[in-house]
Amino acid sequence: MNKTTYQNSILSRWFIGIMSNQKAFTGSCVILIFALIAIFLPFFIQSPTDFLGTPLSPPSLEYIFGTNGQGQDVFAQTICGARQTLLVGFGAGILVVIIGALIGGIAGFYGGRTDDILSLLINIFLVMPGLPLMVILASYLPPTPGTLLGVLVFTGWAWNARVIRSQMMTFRNRDFVSAAIISGESNIRIIIVEIMPRMLSLLASSFIGASIYAIGAQVGLEFLGLGDVSTVTWGTNLYWASNDLALLTESWWTFIPTGLSIAMVSFALTLINFGIDEVSNPRLISERLWRNEIPEDMLNQGITPVFNPHD
Amino acid sequence: MTKPLISVENLSVEYITDTSPVKAVRDVTFEIFHGEIFGLVGESGSGKSTVVQAMMRILPPPAYISGGKVFINNEDIMEASKSDIIGFRWKKISIVMQSALNALNPVLSVREQIHDVLDTHKGLNGKEADDRAKELLSLVDINYDRLESYPHQLSGGMKQRIVIAIALAIMPPIIIMDEPTTALDVIVEREIIAKIIELRKELGITILFITHDLNLLMEFADRLAIMKNGEIVELDKVKDIQKGGKHSYTKKLIGSIPSASGKRQKGLLSRPDSLNLSKSPILEVHNLEKVFQSPGIFNKNKIIAVNNVSFKIFKGEIVALVGESGSGKSTIAKLITRMIRPSAGSIYLDGKNKKVTESRSVPLEYRKTVQMVFQDPFGSLNSIHTVYHHLARPLLRHGLKEQEKILSHIIHLLEKVGLNPGEKFADKFPHEMSGGERQRVAIARALSLKPQIIVADEPTSMLDVSIRMDVLEIFAKMRKENNLTVLFITHDLASARYLADRIIVLKNGSIIEENTSEDLIQNPREKYTKQLVHAASPGWLNSLSKNS
Repeated sequence: MNKTTYQNSILSRWFIGIMSNQKAFTGSCVILIFALIAIFLPFFIQSPTDFLGTPLSPPSLEYIFGTNGQGQDVFAQTICGARQTLLVGFGAGILVVIIGALIGGIAGFYGGRTDDILSLLINIFLVMPGLPLMVILASYLPPTPGTLLGVLVFTGWAWNARVIRSQMMTFRNRDFVSAAIISGESNIRIIIVEIMPRMLSLLASSFIGASIYAIGAQVGLEFLGLGDVSTVTWGTNLYWASNDLALLTESWWTFIPTGLSIAMVSFALTLINFGIDEVSNPRLISERLWRNEIPEDMLNQGITPVFNPHD
Repeated sequence: MTKPLISVENLSVEYITDTSPVKAVRDVTFEIFHGEIFGLVGESGSGKSTVVQAMMRILPPPAYISGGKVFINNEDIMEASKSDIIGFRWKKISIVMQSALNALNPVLSVREQIHDVLDTHKGLNGKEADDRAKELLSLVDINYDRLESYPHQLSGGMKQRIVIAIALAIMPPIIIMDEPTTALDVIVEREIIAKIIELRKELGITILFITHDLNLLMEFADRLAIMKNGEIVELDKVKDIQKGGKHSYTKKLIGSIPSASGKRQKGLLSRPDSLNLSKSPILEVHNLEKVFQSPGIFNKNKIIAVNNVSFKIFKGEIVALVGESGSGKSTIAKLITRMIRPSAGSIYLDGKNKKVTESRSVPLEYRKTVQMVFQDPFGSLNSIHTVYHHLARPLLRHGLKEQEKILSHIIHLLEKVGLNPGEKFADKFPHEMSGGERQRVAIARALSLKPQIIVADEPTSMLDVSIRMDVLEIFAKMRKENNLTVLFITHDLASARYLADRIIVLKNGSIIEENTSEDLIQNPREKYTKQLVHAASPGWLNSLSKNS
């Protein structure tokens, strides 16, 4: 027996637990498909920025999603748009969790003066109105994907830090942490090896929540024209569709594929979140279980049911 | 013989799980007669609370009653509808729940909570209800100006009395008490029990009393049933059980109760005569003080947790620090293990006159010398790590062992604390072990660094009664074999006497009395110590009622 085997086993047990949940599994499959499409498909298809033919031609055999107002292939745009949208979305999700875990974790673990200062910082960010700040920052800074990522993280990390701080404070006073301190462990090791794995579910669902937020906010900013309109993303697709008066010209094919993709990704992420919730809170599952087994007339009476399943 | 007031026949309760149902209670049968105090004793998981909750039909799904009959006053509880049950609860039978201290609503005053019950069940309100509330409070010896108080303004004992008063509101003929005094300090617990007994005589109520504490029940119950794993293993009159009991489990339970009176049995636990204490103390605490400041700039509230405490501990000695909750005993443990810094005073280690309070960060050497065992074995092990991790980390951290030698060392340690075979336990996760096994692992972890001093903070109070003595014996064994010094922190004078050579009694953060165990128990000087000794001796109930 050595160190790596059991540490792997924590992660793998947790991972297997999540994946054996139907909701989480479905959600993960959808995300995986989108990720594979975003990574590989752009190498094999038409460049999304090429001018191909009649603008606003409806779906046909040649262009299965039709063409947009600039005569570009909507199918190619949808596929290629996934790449940057998902990259920025998940990137922001990861950064938000890392920053949140770092600041919230340190504030919660050390307490005292450190906590006072970091909490003040978190609270300042929490009370700043996120959306207007985001719009202002995005419009004054140069419109690159990096800017967008930075703006999303800047306005989104505080809530996560707050949640992780509270969780850390409850763990800080548990006996197993005291025991680790008394055995001479360093604080950093206690945070990373003893406490963080216990927060795995919280961290994972924070990541997913932050990613949903980041994808939505990013698409929103780009739709307002605050992103780099020369790149192809789901947000700019929608921006151009609205710019080309897609609704007036009734060219639904220019925005439905992108809109549907965004909805599917968010839905899949939400499914994963539900799954994590059920796995880390088994009461949700067990309730469904006993509702099936107890006879109808015994349910919802508020008193202990009496029946004998062995008869 | 008259007809029983309560009769439970072959009651079985099961829980739905994703595999096969778990049988929590199996074929439990007993009868309770009018005016009796019937005790139900069992350790955690024995199903004692499940029995009464099923009797009252208050157990929510996934639990269900899979068989048996319950008659209360000749009414069949199993056939009753929801409205029958609601009319029946509180009027004919009331219950004082386990965590009675949390049973009161924190945002309602005592008056409102008593009125609530009176209004719902008797339609009393206004002046009439007030009069009744005053009557009830006087029954449990609480001044009626307390009616306006909120729960947080009352002490634990007062809250408990009020919960009992509410249970008596409609004067039900039967009261079920589920561990009503477990969260209370010993002296208060004894007072409450005496009050309950007095009320029973006065009002002629029947009581079903549930507890894990056989010792307590033997004082005042008429008959009792001992439960284990959902079954009643023995049911008899208390007089007969006091003689030793028939079932082996009963015998084990009775054997595991230390007493604070009578002569001390010489056994493994007493200090071997060959052991000579050194002249200079290994640990010296000097004028120690800890003040907790409430957070916030505007809050001037200060709580003095430890006030001017000084004591010495010699090498190889077992010293018990005895006190009730709030006496500062756990704070002293944290100060000595340097989890927190004292507000004033100093701690000297190993006679070197090295002030440990001077530096801010704690040297590893100190960690190696002073180790701690915590109260809660469920909280002190990290559920995501194996036993191996818990024992290997301190060794690796202090560079004591090379990687290859660690496993054999750990197996040796585990076997030393009674976990055989060591290899099997090294791979286990905390949730795969019982409370007693976990506590043994926690002790092994504290021992793994070969410390000179172990601070044991209530190491047995969360464990089942039948294994407490075994765990205490580990400390005694270690002292004998490794000349270990132990600071044993407890609220229980009897177990302190059982293990320790010397006892220090704490109250409100100060030392009240200090003496060798036997002298302290036989000739307590202070009034408070006398009360403690008294409460821990059998027969306290009789002498208490004689006094009053």
